[in-house]
Amino acid sequence: MVGKSERKRKIAVEEVIIISAVLIAGLALQFFSGPFDKRFLAYPVNLVFLGLLALVFFMKKGAALSRMASGTLSVILLAAVTIAALWMGLVPGNMVKVSWPFVLLYLMLLVNLTAITALRLKSFSAKQIPFILNHVGLLVLLFSAGPGSADKSRFFMTVMEGSTEWRGEPSGTGKDAQVVELPLAIELVNFSMEEYPPKLGVVDKTTGEAMPLGKPHFFEGTLNAESQIARWEFRVDSIVDRPRYAPAAYVLATEIETGTVNEGWVTCGNYFQHFKILDLTENLCVAMTFPEPKSYTSNVKVYTPDGQVKAAEIEVNSPMTVGNWKIYQFSYDTQKGKDSEYSVFELVYDPWVIPLYIGFIMMLFGAITLFWKGGKK
Amino acid sequence: MSWNEFIYFAIGSLLFWISGTILIYTSKGARLGNILILSGIVLFGSFIVGLWIGKGHPPLRTMGETRLWYSFFISIVGFVTYLHWKYKWIMGYSVVVAGVFVFVNLLKPEIHTTNLMPALQSVWFVPHVTVYILSYALLGAATIASFIAIKELKKGEYGLMPLIDNLVYIGLGFLMMGMLMGALWAKEAWGDFWSWDPKEVWAFITAGAYLVYIHARILKFRLNLLLWLLPLAFVLLMITWIGVNYLPAAQGSIHVY
Ligand code: HEM
Repeated sequence: MVGKSERKRKIAVEEVIIISAVLIAGLALQFFSGPFDKRFLAYPVNLVFLGLLALVFFMKKGAALSRMASGTLSVILLAAVTIAALWMGLVPGNMVKVSWPFVLLYLMLLVNLTAITALRLKSFSAKQIPFILNHVGLLVLLFSAGPGSADKSRFFMTVMEGSTEWRGEPSGTGKDAQVVELPLAIELVNFSMEEYPPKLGVVDKTTGEAMPLGKPHFFEGTLNAESQIARWEFRVDSIVDRPRYAPAAYVLATEIETGTVNEGWVTCGNYFQHFKILDLTENLCVAMTFPEPKSYTSNVKVYTPDGQVKAAEIEVNSPMTVGNWKIYQFSYDTQKGKDSEYSVFELVYDPWVIPLYIGFIMMLFGAITLFWKGGKK
Repeated sequence: MSWNEFIYFAIGSLLFWISGTILIYTSKGARLGNILILSGIVLFGSFIVGLWIGKGHPPLRTMGETRLWYSFFISIVGFVTYLHWKYKWIMGYSVVVAGVFVFVNLLKPEIHTTNLMPALQSVWFVPHVTVYILSYALLGAATIASFIAIKELKKGEYGLMPLIDNLVYIGLGFLMMGMLMGALWAKEAWGDFWSWDPKEVWAFITAGAYLVYIHARILKFRLNLLLWLLPLAFVLLMITWIGVNYLPAAQGSIHVY
């Protein structure tokens, strides 16, 4: 027993030394060539890399493969990645995720994980399904989200209501972005928006602070809404909400002690109309907040080069999928809100999206297998 | 129902829980104790249901609302673990933690109702948050058990290890589900599964720490060091849940709770 744990310790020390050497090499690369540029991994480089990883599956069971598949190596790598993430989470403005040491760590993790699964698959049995779900799922995920993501690209596209657009602006390139033609055209049939009712509150005109101080209270500007703030009781007597105009509420404010009533229209205003407040005292007034968007929807038709036309409603949280593209509702004319005459989409191209979903589903089932592993007494 | 009625349900539940826990420590009252604890859980749960109906949406938006679920889940986790493993202290501990979170909610509500912005209106929202809170409850229980195990280890006793490992496995299972569902949701909402947002970075760190623990356990690492990983991992978890917003590296996170 003593001999065995002695040997284990020696192997662990060796592994720490190897990982440290790789990380130091990474630091040197970082120093001489700057941060890692992901575009280097784009097709076909990532496919070549995939082929090389696949070779691990054909390695014979032996010393080399089991050293690559070492469990202590896994623990050390997992700990190292966690520490790298701690750095990411603690140091403001760090560049960990595009640094060479991190990329090399990720690479070692991929190789280790591949070797582990290769070894396990060579002696497959049903008992290993939980292991396979977790680790093959993770492997597929890490590959697609790592080297695979170099093939991903994103564009913004602004489309006027009633017109068709096929040019997009690559995202993340800053001001001097070149507009490019995309293999998709979007016709915006209609843009529509729903808003939450606006809110009413008591505001100090000199400071802009809402009452009660430190614990501001707002109430909904809906018909017959009632509330009490500071010395006043409020009731909304009527509501007007017309196209183009901002919502307006007719508010009755009763000073509780004296019974004095103050009343008048209150509106938050918009690009078309001035705001209006109701004065209560010299400094305090009733004011309305801008209504917050509840949902916004673009009714579109999408044209592809092969002549297909697909109609859909695109909303936040409900993008449209066309082949390897996904189209997201991104923005609109926020000045005009409901009356926006255009819609902004984000288009994401990712040929690795299917493997990614496969990895996710495998890992979700893998997570469920942890329950019965943990359910044993 | 609204937050105004919370105090009655909270105090009622706590009275049930505390008296029930005292009773299970006496040999005769164990049965009644169980009934009282269960009644407390049902009472607390009915407030959540009432609040859900009163608001017209699941109460999962604000910090105060997630604390509500934490108190609820930790009392269930404690009760089920106690019934299964017969450790009374785990029930006592769960009641204390549930009580702390109830009092935080009474004293510092953070319950202002906000309108749900479009990105949060997703089928993933409820499972993502509840599963995470459930895993926090399980891993919290594992942490307390680890402190006791560290003490017992000095006397050469290992009795708590199966309980700890089970809690960590189930807790990690929920943690992984929360993370995976969060990523699937992010893809639907923003086009990226993972964007290393500060909350995501810390969720990753937390999962990493627990993954190190279970793998090191499989490889039979020495317990006197390894057991300390659990309190450490729980600190990381607390930073993920509550602390992230206060970190300098985390200004501008997309996560609001
Ligand atoms: C989502 C992440 C992961 C989960 C949930 C997970 C879970 C597990 C579980 C439950 C086992 C033992 C179960 C069995 O043997 O059937 C295990 C074993 C193992 N895992 Fe993982 N794992 C994860 C990630 C990783 C990673 C990233 C690595 C490598 C870097 C790794 C390396 C290993 C190794 C080497 C073993 C086998 C240990 C042995 O049997 O000697 N795992 N993992």
